[in-house]
Amino acid sequence: MFGRKGKEKKGNYAYAVARVKAKKAQLMGEDTYSKMLMMSLPEISRFIGESGYQKEIATLAGRYEGVDLIEHATYSNMANYFRDILNATTGELHDMLASYLEKWDIWNFKVILRGRSFGMNADDIKEDLVPAGELDQQALEKLLSLESEEDIIIAYGRAAGVVFPADLISAYKESGNPSELEDFLEKDHYDTLLRSIDPSSRPTRLFQDYIRKEIDITNVETILKLKAEGIHGEEVMKYIIPGGKQIDKKLATQLANAETLSAAANDLAPLDFYDDIKEALDETNSLRSIVAGMKKYHIRQAKTFSHLYPLSVIPIVDFMIHKENEVNNIRIIARGLNSGLDTDVIKELLVI
Amino acid sequence: MPAHEITPTRSVLLDLKRRIKLSQNGHKIMKMKRDGLIIEFFEVMEKAKEMRGSVVSDYQAAMEKIAIATAVEGEIAVKSAAYAIKSEPQVEVGSKSIMGMTVPKVEAKIARGNILSKGYGVISTSAYIEEASEAFEKLLVTLVRAAEIETTMKKLLDEIEKTKRRVNALEFKVIPELLEDKRFVEFRLEEMSREETIRLKYLKGKGEKA
Repeated sequence: MFGRKGKEKKGNYAYAVARVKAKKAQLMGEDTYSKMLMMSLPEISRFIGESGYQKEIATLAGRYEGVDLIEHATYSNMANYFRDILNATTGELHDMLASYLEKWDIWNFKVILRGRSFGMNADDIKEDLVPAGELDQQALEKLLSLESEEDIIIAYGRAAGVVFPADLISAYKESGNPSELEDFLEKDHYDTLLRSIDPSSRPTRLFQDYIRKEIDITNVETILKLKAEGIHGEEVMKYIIPGGKQIDKKLATQLANAETLSAAANDLAPLDFYDDIKEALDETNSLRSIVAGMKKYHIRQAKTFSHLYPLSVIPIVDFMIHKENEVNNIRIIARGLNSGLDTDVIKELLVI
Repeated sequence: MPAHEITPTRSVLLDLKRRIKLSQNGHKIMKMKRDGLIIEFFEVMEKAKEMRGSVVSDYQAAMEKIAIATAVEGEIAVKSAAYAIKSEPQVEVGSKSIMGMTVPKVEAKIARGNILSKGYGVISTSAYIEEASEAFEKLLVTLVRAAEIETTMKKLLDEIEKTKRRVNALEFKVIPELLEDKRFVEFRLEEMSREETIRLKYLKGKGEKA
């Protein structure tokens, strides 16, 4: 997948980790979010402008304002950081990170395809791109400039090393519905990512475990989402991503067959993140609270291995997870305050 | 028509009697219609009150959910998911009759399919966006229903006003004027009859003298 840099080499771990360590020191602390909750939007813009987002705030200030400026500046900053790291790595380290960041290529592909099929103009779609994966702004704009949606799909497949099944492309051509393509890409992403991680060493095994737990969480969210719509059984199983850590096919089938969320709760009990979602399952039965619980568990997992194995992929992935989380948290605060959401609701949404 | 402009003949009197009967019947029916419309209006008003409550609560829920989805997933992700949706809501406008009055019957044809038929991927679309999407679909249905009820209520009010004017016109103008005309024609006819009798008596007396 992708243009692999020095496939034979193990990768420049020492150099990459040293660069990331400096960047990690700039990440916001947990108490910063509480301070930000007390600020107004202009104050938040100024504050993040002084906390490492200055370049992006200054660049985008002419195009956006208020909460849109904050969202675009934080995304742009994150994309710059991730691309910097990706460009500075080599060998298997680069491959692992490129596979991990492929989710942003998929995100951009979806933004382009959905925007084009909706009839948006290229300039508007360009505004929404977050080139944090291996496909840079130039490559994404090239995709955007293509004539038809089919050309975009084929060109993306070529650039990202994804082989789309022919029946999916023809189904999309017929219906114009990209959902099957999107689901295929999600499954393919995790499959490629798991295959790119060589589990022979302890740090890569930890990284693999983290990804497999992410698959578990995504699968549980998918099952619960479908269950809330009254979809059970085989129909649900079509959307299950293989390779989860604790949820194998048998457990996934059990969960998929459960009639209600409460019935599924018993099957979820042996899972690691059950304690984080137990309350939401018992009391509110709200999908939103359950998902928030799982997200919090996932970020906690990242924290547990962050200090381990200093010369491995772990510190780099740990930085990426925390950087993305920081960007999400800033956006949650800014958008939440802008929409007049209650501070307690915003605090509940924050993943700290 | 003013009484003095009426020709006091028997055929006019018969016509006036027929018109008075017709007006009185019409007045009775109009009054019944007005009362019926008022009863109907109060029933619709109750529904409209409930509907307004539902619109407010559904709107608040939808706005809260979209605010949360935009905060957690970002505006770009929410916008992008919205662009993926292919089905457009359709509104079917028909009509129904309430006491002879035509009121609109609006039905929202919103493809409230499940997540599988929305157009975006099931795996990657977050629960927050899905919840917001559902809340807005619900709001749209409520709004269309509320629009139907509010329009019915407005039309009922117009119809009550119109019927009330007609009832009043019949009761205080048309029927009294017709009765007045009838009285005038009857009086004139009686007078003409008396004049005729006197004339005949006079002619008879003159004949006897001769």
